[in-house]
Amino acid sequence: MTNVIPLPTRRDEAWRYADLDALARVWGDVPQGPERITVAAGETLAKQIVLPVAMSGVSIVDLDVVIEAGATFALHLLATDADYGRMSVNVLLHEGAHFEMGGAILGNGEQTLEIVTQVNHAHPNATSNQVVRSVLAGHATGSFLGKVAVARHAQKTDASQSVKAMLLDRTATANAKPELEIYADDVKCAHGATVGELDKAALFYMAARGLPPQLARKLMLQAFIADAFVSLDDDVAREAIESRALAALEGLV
Amino acid sequence: MTDDSTPADTKTRDADAWAAAEKASTYEWGFSSAIEQEMAPKGLTEDTVRYISAKKNEPEWMLDWRLKAFRIWQTLETPDWAKLNVPPIDYQDAYYYAEPKAKPKLGSLDEVDPEILEVYKKLGIPIEEQKVLANVEGARRVAVDAVFDSVSVATTFREELSRAGVIFMSISEAIREYPDLVKKWLGKVVPVRDNYFATLNCAVFSDGTFVYIPEGVRCPMELSTYFRINAENTGQFERTLIIADKGSYVSYLEGCTAPQRDENQLHAAVVELVAMDDAEIKYSTVQNWYPGDAEGKGGIYNFVTKRGLAQGARSKISWTQVETGSAVTWKYPSCVLNGEDSVGEFYSVAVTNNYQQADTGTKMIHNGKGSRSTIVSKGISAGRSNNTYRGLVRVAPGAEGVRNFTQCDSLLLGDQCGAHTVPYIEVRNPSAQIEHEATTSKISDDQLFYAMQRGLSAEEAVALIVNGFAREVLKQLPMEFAVEAQKLLGISLEGSVG
Amino acid sequence: MLTITNLHATIGGTEILKGLSLTINAGEIHAIMGPNGAGKSTLAYTLGGRPGYEVTDGTATFDGQDLLALEPHERAAAGLFLGFQYPVEIPGVSNLQFLRESLNAQRRARGEEPLSGAEFIRLAKEKAGLLKMDMDMLKRPVNVGFSGGEKKRNEMVQMGIIDPKLALLDETDSGLDIDALRIVGEGINTIMRKPDRAVLLITHYQRLLDLVKPDFVHVLAGGRIVRSGGAELALELEEQGYEAVA
Repeated sequence: MTNVIPLPTRRDEAWRYADLDALARVWGDVPQGPERITVAAGETLAKQIVLPVAMSGVSIVDLDVVIEAGATFALHLLATDADYGRMSVNVLLHEGAHFEMGGAILGNGEQTLEIVTQVNHAHPNATSNQVVRSVLAGHATGSFLGKVAVARHAQKTDASQSVKAMLLDRTATANAKPELEIYADDVKCAHGATVGELDKAALFYMAARGLPPQLARKLMLQAFIADAFVSLDDDVAREAIESRALAALEGLV
Repeated sequence: MTDDSTPADTKTRDADAWAAAEKASTYEWGFSSAIEQEMAPKGLTEDTVRYISAKKNEPEWMLDWRLKAFRIWQTLETPDWAKLNVPPIDYQDAYYYAEPKAKPKLGSLDEVDPEILEVYKKLGIPIEEQKVLANVEGARRVAVDAVFDSVSVATTFREELSRAGVIFMSISEAIREYPDLVKKWLGKVVPVRDNYFATLNCAVFSDGTFVYIPEGVRCPMELSTYFRINAENTGQFERTLIIADKGSYVSYLEGCTAPQRDENQLHAAVVELVAMDDAEIKYSTVQNWYPGDAEGKGGIYNFVTKRGLAQGARSKISWTQVETGSAVTWKYPSCVLNGEDSVGEFYSVAVTNNYQQADTGTKMIHNGKGSRSTIVSKGISAGRSNNTYRGLVRVAPGAEGVRNFTQCDSLLLGDQCGAHTVPYIEVRNPSAQIEHEATTSKISDDQLFYAMQRGLSAEEAVALIVNGFAREVLKQLPMEFAVEAQKLLGISLEGSVG
Repeated sequence: MLTITNLHATIGGTEILKGLSLTINAGEIHAIMGPNGAGKSTLAYTLGGRPGYEVTDGTATFDGQDLLALEPHERAAAGLFLGFQYPVEIPGVSNLQFLRESLNAQRRARGEEPLSGAEFIRLAKEKAGLLKMDMDMLKRPVNVGFSGGEKKRNEMVQMGIIDPKLALLDETDSGLDIDALRIVGEGINTIMRKPDRAVLLITHYQRLLDLVKPDFVHVLAGGRIVRSGGAELALELEEQGYEAVA
C-alpha cells in the first residue's frame, strides 16, 4: 500500500528540520497514520521506545496518545540509530492527567535525528513535563520541535519543557523550537532551551582533581544525558534505556 | 497616467473623514485633519510607481530600481499568516501616495502650515519635543523629521547637525543629494525580494528618513521621526536608511500614530540600519497606530521589515520597541551580526487588547566571531487579542564564541486572549552559548488585591503591575519616550479589567 | 617541593603577577595574605593551570618537574591539590563517582593500581568522618545545592581522599562559621601536617592561622611578595593592616 498523504515540505512547520530527501526515498513505505495509545482514566502507563533500526536507514516512530482523566503516561525516547530518525508524539491530556516525557538524541556522522511533540492541554488541571537532551557530533543534526497548546478553559495547566543540546564538533547542528500556544490565563507554562559547550569552570575543576579532559567530558555528558531519564521510576527500565544511551554516547566521544 | 486626482475629490473626502473623526472619541489620537492632500490615483500598476517616482523628481536609476521591485512583487505570493488572521487585502483599492498640497519648502518648523503643527500637537508629540519645536532654552535636544502621510515635511536642527557632519533628511532628498551613499546601501540590508511587503515598499515607498553619521561622530542629539497616516485608504510606505560610519553613535526615535478610520489601512515600512566598525545605533519605536475599535473594526495593518546590519567589528545595533497599536502587527526587527564581537539587542513590549493581533519578535543572525545578542520580550494580552513572540537565533558554523540570552515573558489579562511563544534556535557551532527562557503568567488576585488595598483602582493596579512587568524593556527607552510609553500601556489596557 | 621564580602571569592581557618568587619545602605550612586584588587567587589558579591564566615569564618547579608544562589534570596527578575559593557545581555527577574517577585517574597516571569500589567507599567514609560530613552528601551531585560552608568542607573531604603532596587552599576559611572553621582547621592539620606534605594557605584572616599555625607568612601586594616572616607577621598584619606592614 502506498502512502496517499503528500510528502511534507520544508514549509510544514513540523518538518522544518527533517531530512526530506531521505524521507522521499521511503515515503511510499511509511506506515499510514500513527500508533494509537490510550491510557485509561486513573491508570498509569510507562513506555520506553528506542528508535528501531531500519534497513533503509529511515526510521520513524509516530505516536498518538490520549491520556484520560487522572491518568499518567511516562514516555522515554532514545533517538540514535538511523540516518534519518524521527520520533513524533501527539498527546491529548484530559482533566487532571499527567504526561511525563524524557528524550535523548545522540547523533554522529551524517545523521538527522528529531523528536517532535505536540502536547494538547485541552482540559483543566492537567500537567506535562518534557525533558530533551541532545549530544551531536560529526555532521549530525539533532532537532527538537515541541509545542504545548493550552486550550481556552484548560485552567490550572502546568506545562514545562527543558531542552538542552551539546555540540561536540563545529560541523554538527542543533535546532530547537519549544513553542507555547496559550489560550487560558490561569496557567503555569514555561520552557527553557540552551545550546552550549560543557561548563568550562567545571571542566577545570575536574582537571584540578586529576581527571583527564576526555574522561571529564564523558562524565559530564553522561550526567547530561541521564537528565532525560531521571523521571523513569522503574530502575530496571531506566538502566536499560540509559545503558543504550550511554553506549551510543561512547561512539560520540 | 493622467494627473486626475482632483483637489475637489480630495476635499470632499477629507471633509467626510473629518466629520467622521469628530464623532470618534475613544482613540485619543483619532482625528483627521482637513489639510488638502494631493494623491496618486487609486490602485497599483507600473504607472503608480512611475507617478510616485516622477512626483519625487527621482533620477532614472531610482525609477528603474522601483520598477524592478514592482515586477518582482507581482510574482510573489501573499505570505501565509503565521498566527495572524488577516482578511485578504485588495492592493488595488488603496491610494499609494498622498502629500500635503503645495508642499512647502521650509527651513524651519515655524514655517510649517499651522494646521500641520496643530496635528502634531494633537499627536501628543512629547512635551519635551514641543519645547524643542518652540525653541525653548534648555530643552533636551531632539531633531524631528516628521513624516506626514508620505512626505517628510521639514526637519529641525538641520544646521547644527550638518555642522557635525550628520546628514538627516528625507530619503527623497537623499536620493537626489547623496545618490552614491543611497545606492550603496539601499536594499542591501533588506534585499528587494526579501518578503512580500518589503518588495512592495521598494516599489512604492513614498518617503522616509535618511541618516548618515560620519566616522567618529557622536550624533549631538537624538533624532526623531513622527509618522502619521492621515489620508483615508493610503498605505504608508516609508523607507528609512541609517548608516553609522566607523566609531559613530546615533540614537533614533520613531513614534507613530494614525487617525481613526473604519477601513483598515496598510502600513508597510522598511527600515535598514548599517553599523560599521565600533559604531552603535540605538533605534527606539513607540507604535500606537489606531488599533481598531472594541469590536475589532478598522485599525492599521502594520507589516514592517526592520533589519540592522552590524557589519563592523564591535558594532552594536539595539532595537527597543513598545507596540501598543495597530489591528495587526507583523514585524521582526532583526540584527545580522557580521562583525567580530558585534552586539545585537532586542527589547520589546507588545500590548494587545480587544481584537488586536500582534506577531512580533526578532532574528539574531550570528555570523561574526564573538558576536553577542540579548532578547527581552514582554507580551501582554487582554480582551480577545492574540499576542505572539516569534524569534530566531541562528549561529553560523564559523562564528566562534557566540552568546545569546533570550527571555520571553507573557502576561494574560482575562481568559479570552491568547499568548504564544515561538522561538527558533539553530546552532551550528559548538562554542556557542545560547539560553532561552519563557514564562507565562497572569496578574494574581493577591497582587491585585494588595495594590487595591493600598488605594489603587483596579485599572491603576493593572497598569502598575503591567509597567513592572515591562520595566526591563521600558528602561531601555530614552527617558521622555519611557514616560510616554508607560502612559500608553495604561491607556491601551483600558477596559481590560472588570 | 615547590620553587616559584620570577613568575609573571596575565589574564586577558592584564598582568597580575609581576615577578613572584616563593619556595615551599616538604613539611612546611605557608600562608599568603594580602589585600583584595593583590593576585592571591591568580597565583592559585596559575599554579593549577586554569585556562585563561597565561604565564609570560618565570618558572615553577614541583618535585623537580616543570609544573607549568603540565596540563591541569597532570598537575593534580603529580600531587598538587587546589582548594577552590568558589567550588564549582557539577549537576548530575555524584561526589562519589567524581572522586573515585578522579582518584583512579591520578593513580593510573602514577602507575598505581586503581581502587576497587569497596576500597574507595571505605576511604571516602573515613575522610568524610574526619570532616564530620554526612555520607549522604557524598552521594549528591558535586556541590549542587550545598551551602557555602558545605562546599568548603567538601573540598577538605576531597583533599583527604586524594591525599596530595601539596595543597593550595584558596580562602578555604571564607564562608565558614566557627564550628566549621575548627573542623576544617583540624582536617588540614590531620591530613597535611606531615614531613612529606606541604600547604599554601591563601587567606585574609588570622582566625584560620590560629588553628593551622603557619611556619611562614608572606604578604602579597601588587603581584609580588613584598614581605615574608614567621607566624608573628600575620598577627602584625591583623593589628596594623596591610599598608603599614607592606
